[in-house]
Amino acid sequence: MSARVAVVVFPGTNSEDETVRALQAVGLDASLVLWSQPEALARFDAFVLPGGFAYEDRVRAGAVAAHDAVMDPVIEAAQAGKFVLGICNGAQILAEAGLVPGTGERRRPTAAFAPNTSGRYQSVHVHVKLNVAPERVPILAGIEAGAVIPAWASHGDGRLAAPGEELARIERDGHLAFVYADRHGNRVPAPNGSALDGAALVNTAGNVLAIMPHPERDAWTFQHLDGSRDTGAMLAPSGGIRFFEHFARALRLREAA
Amino acid sequence: MTTAAHDDAVALGRRLGVALSDEEIGRIADHLGRIPTATELFAFDAQWSEHCSYKSSREHLKKLPTQGPTVLLGVGEDAGIVRLGEWEGETYGIVVAHESHNHPSQVVPFEGAATGIGGIVRDVLCMGAEVIGVADPLRFGRLENEHCRYVAQQVVDGIAAYGNAIGVPNVGGDVFFDESFNDNVLVNVVALGLVKEKDIIHSRAPKDSLGWDIVLVGKATDRSGFGGASFSSLSLDEEDAEQNKGAVQVPDPFLKNVIMRASYAVFAELRKQGITAGFKDLGAGGLAGCSAELCAAGGMGAEVALELVSTAQKDLPPEVIAIGETQERLCWIVPPAFTPTLLSIYNELYSLPRVARGACAAVIGKVADTGRYVARYHGDVVMDVDLDFLTGGVRYSRPFELPPTAPESDAADRAVVANFDRPLALLTALPHLLGHRDVASRVSIYQRYDGVVRGVTSLPPGYADAGVLVPVPGAPLGVAVGIGGNPRYGKLDPRRAGALAVVEAVAQVSAVGATPAGLTDCLNFGDPTIPSQMGAFVAAVDGLSEAARGIGVPFVSGNVSLYNRSSSGNHVAPSPIVSCIGTLADVAVARTMGFKHAGSPVVVLNGPAGAFGGSVIADVLGVTSRALPAVDLDWFTRASACVRAGLQRGVILAARDISDGGPLTAAVEMAMASTEGFGLRIGGDGVASAQGRASQYDETPGYVVEVGDFAAFIELAAQHRLAIRLDMRTIAEPLVEHVDADGDRVAAIALDDLRRVWEEPLRDFYGAAGAA
Repeated sequence: MSARVAVVVFPGTNSEDETVRALQAVGLDASLVLWSQPEALARFDAFVLPGGFAYEDRVRAGAVAAHDAVMDPVIEAAQAGKFVLGICNGAQILAEAGLVPGTGERRRPTAAFAPNTSGRYQSVHVHVKLNVAPERVPILAGIEAGAVIPAWASHGDGRLAAPGEELARIERDGHLAFVYADRHGNRVPAPNGSALDGAALVNTAGNVLAIMPHPERDAWTFQHLDGSRDTGAMLAPSGGIRFFEHFARALRLREAA
Repeated sequence: MTTAAHDDAVALGRRLGVALSDEEIGRIADHLGRIPTATELFAFDAQWSEHCSYKSSREHLKKLPTQGPTVLLGVGEDAGIVRLGEWEGETYGIVVAHESHNHPSQVVPFEGAATGIGGIVRDVLCMGAEVIGVADPLRFGRLENEHCRYVAQQVVDGIAAYGNAIGVPNVGGDVFFDESFNDNVLVNVVALGLVKEKDIIHSRAPKDSLGWDIVLVGKATDRSGFGGASFSSLSLDEEDAEQNKGAVQVPDPFLKNVIMRASYAVFAELRKQGITAGFKDLGAGGLAGCSAELCAAGGMGAEVALELVSTAQKDLPPEVIAIGETQERLCWIVPPAFTPTLLSIYNELYSLPRVARGACAAVIGKVADTGRYVARYHGDVVMDVDLDFLTGGVRYSRPFELPPTAPESDAADRAVVANFDRPLALLTALPHLLGHRDVASRVSIYQRYDGVVRGVTSLPPGYADAGVLVPVPGAPLGVAVGIGGNPRYGKLDPRRAGALAVVEAVAQVSAVGATPAGLTDCLNFGDPTIPSQMGAFVAAVDGLSEAARGIGVPFVSGNVSLYNRSSSGNHVAPSPIVSCIGTLADVAVARTMGFKHAGSPVVVLNGPAGAFGGSVIADVLGVTSRALPAVDLDWFTRASACVRAGLQRGVILAARDISDGGPLTAAVEMAMASTEGFGLRIGGDGVASAQGRASQYDETPGYVVEVGDFAAFIELAAQHRLAIRLDMRTIAEPLVEHVDADGDRVAAIALDDLRRVWEEPLRDFYGAAGAA
């Protein structure tokens, strides 16, 4: 049987359906769990926090959700080594929960996804490149070094920010999982002004990944906006789905073990 | 009834500040046989407002075609529904609604524009549909004006803040800047939904619903938006701006996000239990208006207890509870046996009370079979009226003067041609066109909106003339949305402007290979009590009707917004704005507008008419022509079919409709959209004369297409009896090059330079994301 993945929905989440579709497309048993039913989370093997505006981004994007009771089991699971993936608002929540880059102290953030330098919400198509050794991200089992993933950066608060020494630690200790790049994999300045051109953070154990851009929004040929859409097979999984395939592989390896 | 009683009723109405005329108040008093209560006067004020009753427009709207094989649900409810197609044995429909939020957006632009999205989304939701997309036609004043700059910024901020938060992709829209909108911004919004034909929920009390529960869902009722319906039927006066602000509702997209998802869960439960319920959103007229229309539509009556309504403040007067237009509220009519399930989904599973203070689902009344609407407050009857009289509204036959029709040529047109005497003029004009406020790139606006949330967007705004969605997971079915409506044409000839709006919207969906399935209109005009303004409205409806019948596409929904004038008498340009919904059996047909190969023929369908009235080139050259191109609907229908066929067979690699700026401007935008950076070469006999060069900026409707298999295309064009013009080819170099008959370069401009000119005007105003 395939691994059970909970897609956690907070008040204000808005990307849960396409996230479930992407997870199901790679053979995972994904289902929605609402903030009102934290007890339901116990039976899941892995957790995905999708995009949106949980609790209206009050205080700071992700800050209120990070303190929601529904996060208690997620934080415990993360610290117990279970896989936890956060996309966009989910990434902001993981940073606010202190799970990435991670110090072991729950709900003590050391880095944040702060307002874009433009001061505005902006939605642009981007590519992100794996910036650490593949063995640093067991949550994406089998991903090749320097892998380039197409995605949409659709957020108002996606700028990686942290104190200077923490940024140094993030880079030195391999927490900077993905950086913004062009489609050929050349690192480019982040559209949101992120420090280190950072697009994603991973924790020390490599089981918690927080990525700002949405791979699930460039997951099928019909979503491609260049010549590559002209393959005819518009419903074929592609691009961003590879990201989820590595996540599924990680779960299967975990089950096999 | 005595004149004294009449006078008392009128005096009460005046004291309450309702917009009803003395005569209307008299009719109400006569009908009731007594002096109406405050609650009743406010209820009639809303229901009989232009906004709700279409009292000036209804008799003319009858002229629009509304029937056709693509119509699943025609005009009549909160939204219409067109047939998308079949998938796995189910028939899917696309719910289509169109609204305006003009007055509120002028007074408080951020909230006004945001609640515009909020309201239209409920219109789609209450048909039992999932909301899958919105599109915004915007008409701003000139940005040279400080207040217009503020309004233009805040409107976009409001649309972004609301649409992004609820997670509905913004898939289209257009923007014009014109001085006639300096005092009255136009903020229209189109919303689309997806529903299976068998799961459509109607906005009426079902048969045999006597004794069923009336359930109010959503935000706690407060004073916001009290009197909104009649406010939107008044002329805007600077001095009143402050007090009018109270009539604008306060948006809460965060709560709406949760209400939408909870409602989807309710739909699923209703389907599981096979229950037919009634569902409607609260808009103009508030709770009383909504529940009254629900029960009237079902031929029933209603008994409502206002003290059961969750309110934000203590001791709200009953008329505010009954008529106030607090946002984010919907009304259900369900059998009592289902009520506990309904309440637990909203109040517990989706915990509305936790999401916003006072928000909840609560039973507030019962369906009766009396044909009357009876509202009590702590036992006292505050409203007791005949439903048909309340919701039947009133009708006016306003006197009107039809405007003159535009000529098909004007001596001034020659002045435009004269400007192209020198060959060099062909390209020297180009940067002026691309940098014009109505042509300049809108990408910095599109980036502010989430065009790809829900993961079903195939073509977001800016990648083609129409936005394209693939809304049924696993199915290749596509939905395209196009928008048309040019205020420069509206000023010259409202009738022609109406026809051209339909043509442009249809052309946009055809340019992505979609088949037009339905139209929806928002008719924005001035004061209907002024015969010339009413005449502009009547003429525009004639034009819409003429074009829709000629092309064979029905209207499935629409909206009318009148009194778009300021106290200073500045009326908006007559603005019939049309959206066309197109369907695709296979979304693979929909291509981006960028050039795909180097060396492709770039063909222009349609010869120029030489009528430059309302064109961008005329504006750039400071020429005033009154001539508008004639619309040959038979030709246009054949040309559209040819473009669709060409895309379906892969003969056409990229297509655009010809609009602002003409064919050369359209082709250059296709080059700038090419991911490979392919350029454009123009030359030959077509541009050897001043006439020919000027024609490259002629806005006569038609298409520009990049052709793959030229022989096959010629055959296709012949089959559709179409003449073609071939003056352009794509080239590998990233530039626009003008060559003479011998192929020698006359002039050239780098695409990057053109892109800079094209992006600058709005990028500096709305800002843009960094390198991506």
